[in-house]
Amino acid sequence: MQEFLQHTLNGLSFGSVYALIALGYTMVYGILAMINFAHSDIYMMGAFGTFYVINFLKLGESPNPITFAIGLLAAMLFSGLVGFMVEKFAYKPLRNSPKMNVLITAIGVSILFEFGGQIVFGVNPKSFPQLMLDTEVFNFMDISVRLLDIIIYMVTIISLISLSFLIGKTQTGRAMQAVSSRQDMAPLMGININKIISFTFIVGSVLAGIAACLVAMKYPKIDPMMGVKIGTSAFVAAVFGGIGSLPGAVLGGYILGLGEYYLIGYGASTYKEALSFLLLILILLVKPTGLMGKKAKEKI
Amino acid sequence: MNFLAKNKLLFFAISFVVIGAICNFALNSYIQALVVSFMINAIMALSLNFITGVANQFSLGQAGFMALGAYTSAVLTKVYFADQWYFIPLTAFAGALVSTVAGYLVALPSFKLRGDYLAIVTMGFAEIVRVLFLNWDFVGGPRGYNGVVKWPDFLVSYGFTGAALFLTFIVLYHLKISWFGRNLWALNEDEIAAEVMGTPIAKNKRFAFLFSSFFAGLGGALYGHHLGYFSPASFGFLMSVQILIFAVLGGLGSMSGSVLSAGILTALPEILRSLPTGGIDIRMIVFPILLILLMILRPQGLLGRKELF
Repeated sequence: MQEFLQHTLNGLSFGSVYALIALGYTMVYGILAMINFAHSDIYMMGAFGTFYVINFLKLGESPNPITFAIGLLAAMLFSGLVGFMVEKFAYKPLRNSPKMNVLITAIGVSILFEFGGQIVFGVNPKSFPQLMLDTEVFNFMDISVRLLDIIIYMVTIISLISLSFLIGKTQTGRAMQAVSSRQDMAPLMGININKIISFTFIVGSVLAGIAACLVAMKYPKIDPMMGVKIGTSAFVAAVFGGIGSLPGAVLGGYILGLGEYYLIGYGASTYKEALSFLLLILILLVKPTGLMGKKAKEKI
Repeated sequence: MNFLAKNKLLFFAISFVVIGAICNFALNSYIQALVVSFMINAIMALSLNFITGVANQFSLGQAGFMALGAYTSAVLTKVYFADQWYFIPLTAFAGALVSTVAGYLVALPSFKLRGDYLAIVTMGFAEIVRVLFLNWDFVGGPRGYNGVVKWPDFLVSYGFTGAALFLTFIVLYHLKISWFGRNLWALNEDEIAAEVMGTPIAKNKRFAFLFSSFFAGLGGALYGHHLGYFSPASFGFLMSVQILIFAVLGGLGSMSGSVLSAGILTALPEILRSLPTGGIDIRMIVFPILLILLMILRPQGLLGRKELF
């Protein structure tokens, strides 16, 4: 039982990270109807942003909340910036091209980041500076609850609340909804589509940056390929929840996080990726729009 | 348009023999291996081009079919044919058939899934195949499959791989210009309109998948026997992407374009090999840049849908 609870706790922190990354996939899909393959690399860039900023400020030796705040901000800033650039230079010129071309470009951007990153940052994993001490907060019946897990839950919850406020209550957020539902009508309402698309990319990338910082704190080894596996899982989570649907991405993220952790915990870890894809294919066959996705009508 | 016209056939046969002779007598084994690699790349590019370029079904799982072909052929030669090279054509054919069966299974749901979702399913399929081989100890698991039987010398390898490429090209090229190909073009242009015009779209997609996966499996089998070694990591997502780049550069829908771009992209990394990259595969820098620029500047690829001859 306590083993099960421990797996649940770990699964929840994994799930939080998946949810944050899956939101980026799903937001971009909702607004541009494209799979942003480069999202996992934007995530990776966030972790490297923190790494270089903290090392530049020589804060690596002093783990405290201020260091953590600086590190988190650096990751958000870097990821946001990279997301903005990717959209501006790679995707924007293709706004009116066929879908397949955009998808191919996204794959190209992703691979360029992964292997270009290996040249710029080096192939070997770098050890991520300690931003907070990972102390045990309390121990209940041999279930240890650690500070980093609590930070991950808290940061995720705050991010999700801010995001739902941003999208539901602000003018920009309503504009995002408008562009997402009818891209041809939105300009007639005085919405600058290009700005909104850029903004959506930035928001999604910032969420990925937050996730990167959290993951790098928990597993302090970062390398240019770190986004591949987690990005794939988060992507599966986004599709599982219904790509284009924000609550779906969060739900999918948590289901996948918990599921994968139980699998690892009960010894089937080598099949982990195959199983998540198998699950995805089955879901797509039974309900192609995912758990909470809306069915898009095809107009002639 | 008739490719099988006698004079063209004669021209290709002569140039094939001449190139083979030049490679065998005048060039070193490094170039010889490159030529065979080129032909395998061309087979893979053609197989993807048929399903993605002609039928407009985006497949990111070509590496999965390739892996099935490679592993099947390698295991068969080892277990049943005592590593005799002259059984390779037979086992390669068997590998292609296994891959075709998988292609049929992948194609079954394709009438339900469109565009991105189909890309995801094919990508997932390749990933599942890779993980299965990763966990199968008999074929070496993550260490890879060592000691696959190789062709005895360059000329045999050149002859058989060239024959396979010729077969792939002829079949897919003729399918493209046949009535079946025209149905696929209709599907490519507008799925709903094609359905309204009475073409059986689900059936056509399935057939297109069968042909594509057959030749991908064939290419995979030849890949294994050419290199003598492969591992599940050889057939990862990057391999699928590499095949996609071959097909896209030549022009989606142009069969001769695929062969042309396979030639260019096999030679290009070798020319750039002297650049300092700190041990990183130069292809993985050049290809994505090429891909992005191509999509922005010339999205239809080198030849578009036209053929060279």
